[in-house]
Amino acid sequence: MATTGLTLKEQTAFLRDSLNGKPLTPEEREALLKSHLPPTPSSSSPTPSRTNSKRAKTRKVRLHKPKTGRIRNFVHFVIYQTIALIFSVFFRFRRAWRLFWYKVCGVMGHHHRSPEWIVNDVKNLEQLPRHLSVVLDYNEDDEDQGTAGLEGLLNDVCEIAAWSASAGIPLVSIYERTGALKNYPKQTYEAISRTLETYFGPHRCPSLTIKSPHMPSYSRPTTPTSETTEDGTMTSRPHLTVLFLSELDGRNTLIDLTVTLSHMAQKGDVRVDQINANLIDAELNDHVSTEPDLLILFSPTVVLKGYPPWQLRLTEIFHLPDNKGVNYQVFLQALKKFGKAEFRVGK
Amino acid sequence: MASLHRSGISKWLASFPPFAWAVRELRELLIGALRQGPVPQHVAFVMDGNRRFARERHIETVEGHNMGSEALARILEVCYKSGVKVVTIYAFSIENFKRSKHEVDALMAMAKLKLGQVSQHGALLDRYGASIRIIGQRDHLKPDVLAAIDKAVAMTAHNNKAILNVCFPYTSREEITTAVKSTVEQFSTPIDTLSTPSKRTFSESHITQHLRKQMLGEDQDATAGHEMSRSASPLSSKEAKSGESNHSSSTSTAMDPLEKGDTHASGPTFLDPETITAETLNSHMLTADAPPLDLLIRTSGVERLSDFMLWQCHQDTSIVFLECLWPEFDLWHFLPVMIEWQWQRKKLLEEQKNRGSSKND
Repeated sequence: MATTGLTLKEQTAFLRDSLNGKPLTPEEREALLKSHLPPTPSSSSPTPSRTNSKRAKTRKVRLHKPKTGRIRNFVHFVIYQTIALIFSVFFRFRRAWRLFWYKVCGVMGHHHRSPEWIVNDVKNLEQLPRHLSVVLDYNEDDEDQGTAGLEGLLNDVCEIAAWSASAGIPLVSIYERTGALKNYPKQTYEAISRTLETYFGPHRCPSLTIKSPHMPSYSRPTTPTSETTEDGTMTSRPHLTVLFLSELDGRNTLIDLTVTLSHMAQKGDVRVDQINANLIDAELNDHVSTEPDLLILFSPTVVLKGYPPWQLRLTEIFHLPDNKGVNYQVFLQALKKFGKAEFRVGK
Repeated sequence: MASLHRSGISKWLASFPPFAWAVRELRELLIGALRQGPVPQHVAFVMDGNRRFARERHIETVEGHNMGSEALARILEVCYKSGVKVVTIYAFSIENFKRSKHEVDALMAMAKLKLGQVSQHGALLDRYGASIRIIGQRDHLKPDVLAAIDKAVAMTAHNNKAILNVCFPYTSREEITTAVKSTVEQFSTPIDTLSTPSKRTFSESHITQHLRKQMLGEDQDATAGHEMSRSASPLSSKEAKSGESNHSSSTSTAMDPLEKGDTHASGPTFLDPETITAETLNSHMLTADAPPLDLLIRTSGVERLSDFMLWQCHQDTSIVFLECLWPEFDLWHFLPVMIEWQWQRKKLLEEQKNRGSSKND
C-alpha cells in the first residue's frame, strides 16, 4: 500500500543508510529529512551555539505565515469534525451489528444449564486455564438488563462459577472494584451452591470454597470430598474455589507490603538487598492471589479498573468488543481462544 | 517500509513523486485534524510481530527488526506531531535475553547504531523537542551500548516538549520491585545521616537537609500536644524533593513522634512508613514524571501485557490489541485507534457531566 509518502530513493536511503550506493554523511541525511520535519519551534533554542548555523539554513525553507496557519487550522477543524461524525455513526452501527450477532450466537449456543453441554463445548480444547479470573461491574442502575445492585452481581458470580465448575476449572477469581460481595461470604456461598445444584443435581454437585484476601475462607466442613456411586466405586467430587478480589487488593496491597518492609527495615529485620521480585511474588501469591492464566472482561473495551497489577504479568486478556454484561458466549470464546494460545516467555 | 519487499505496479505508483507528495500532504492533513480533538498524553507501544513478519516474508529476522524500527520512526512522528507528550515503547524485555545470541547481538548493534544516529542529529530532534530516556535494568547491558545510550540521552536531555521512554531491558515486575526497594531504602535511612550515596537524580543528602530545615522550624513553634499527633509535621516526600514547603498535602510523611524529641541527641530518626501512599511508590517508578498512561497498543494480535507497564496501565488505561504486525503498523492503523479513543473519551466526559448535573438536581 502506498502509505508513507516517500519516494523510492528516499526509502532506500532511510532503510539502507546509503544514497546512490554511497553511505550517507550526517549532513546528507539531514538534507533528506528536511522536508518531513515540523517547523522550528517558536521558542528560542536552549542551545543556540550548536544549532545556529543549521537553524539559519532551515529558516528560509520553512517560514510559516500566520494567515495560512489560521486557514490551515480551520481546514483541520472541519476535517476533524467530519471524521468524528462519520466514525461515530460507524461505531454505533458496528456496535448494533455486533450486539445482534452476539445475541444470535447466544441463542444458538446456549448451555441449557446442563454441565454436559458445557463439557461438550470445551472438550476439544488443547488446554484449559487452571486459574480463571473475571472482572465484573457493580451496576447501580440496570439498563433493563436485570443486573443491578448486589443481586445482579451475585447472579453473575453464580453463573460464572457454575460454568467454570462444568468446564473443569478449579479456581476462579472474581474482581469487582468495590468488593461489595466480600462482606457476605455466607450468603454468597449459599447462592453459589444453590446454582451449582441446579446445574449438577444434588449428588454430583462439586464442593465449594469461598475465599477473599485477609479473610478466613468459607466452606461447609461437612462436605464429603468423595462418595460412593450406585455401582460401588468411589468417585471424587470436583472442587471449586471462588476468590473475591477488590480494588484494595491491587495497588494498596503493594503499598501495605512496602510499609511492612519499611517497618522491618527500620528495625533492622530485613536488609534492602534482601528484597527481590521472588519475595514480593511469594508474599502476594500467599496473601492475595496467584497469577491467573486467563482474564475475561465482560466490558466493551479493555480497561482494567484497578485489577491487581502484579498478577497480570503473562495473563491472557480476553474481551469481546462492544459486548456488555456477562454471558456464556464470552466465556466460551475466551476458553476457545485460550485453548489455542501458545505461551512464549520472551521468545 | 513494507513496500520495499513488494514488487509490481503498486510499488512503482507508491514511489512516483507526485503521488508520494500527495500521500504526504494527506498524512499531514489527517495528523493536523487529529490534533483538534482530545489527544492522549501518554501512549505506550508493545512492538510485537517483527519476527513473524520476517518469517512470513521470508527475510532475515534481523531485517524484520530493522523494518520494525522504521515503523517506530513513522509512528513517533505521528505521535509527536499530533500532540502526544510521552511515548513509551517496549524495546527489549529482560526475558528477550533468552533468544539466540545472534539475534540479541544484532538487536544490541541496532540499538547502538540508531542511538548513534540520534546523537549525530541532536539539532533535528530539537525540532520535535523530544528527549530520550532509557528505562530499565542497565546492569544487563554491555558497556559500549551503555555509552551510546548515555550519549543520546545527554544530547536530548534539555528538550522538554516531549519524552520518548525506551524500555530497554525492562520488565514491569523488576520496575515495581526496584520502586519498593528504593522506597524502603528511603524510609529506612536515618534522616540525619548525610553520607548515604544516592542512586537517583535527587540526592538524598539534599532532601535530608530540607527535611531538617523544616523540622527545626517545626520544633520551634511546636506545642506539646502538637508533637503527639501523628501528622505533626506534614512533610511530603515529594515536596521535600522539589524543595517546596507546602503544608497542605495528603501525602504527608510525618516524623516518628516518639523519636522526635531526641533527634539531635541519639538514636536514628526515620520517616514514618505509615505515610507511604500510591503517590510515594509512583514517584519511585521509572515513569515517575510522566502523565498517567492513556493508551496502550499491542500489535500482532497477542492479548497479553507480557510484563509491561503493569503498575501504570491497570487503572483507566485503554488497552488496544491489534491484529497487524509491528512493521506494518502505520498511521492507517493508528488513526482508527485514536479516533475511537477520542470518541470514547468524549462519551466518558459526557457521562461524567450528566452524572454531575443529576447529582446537583
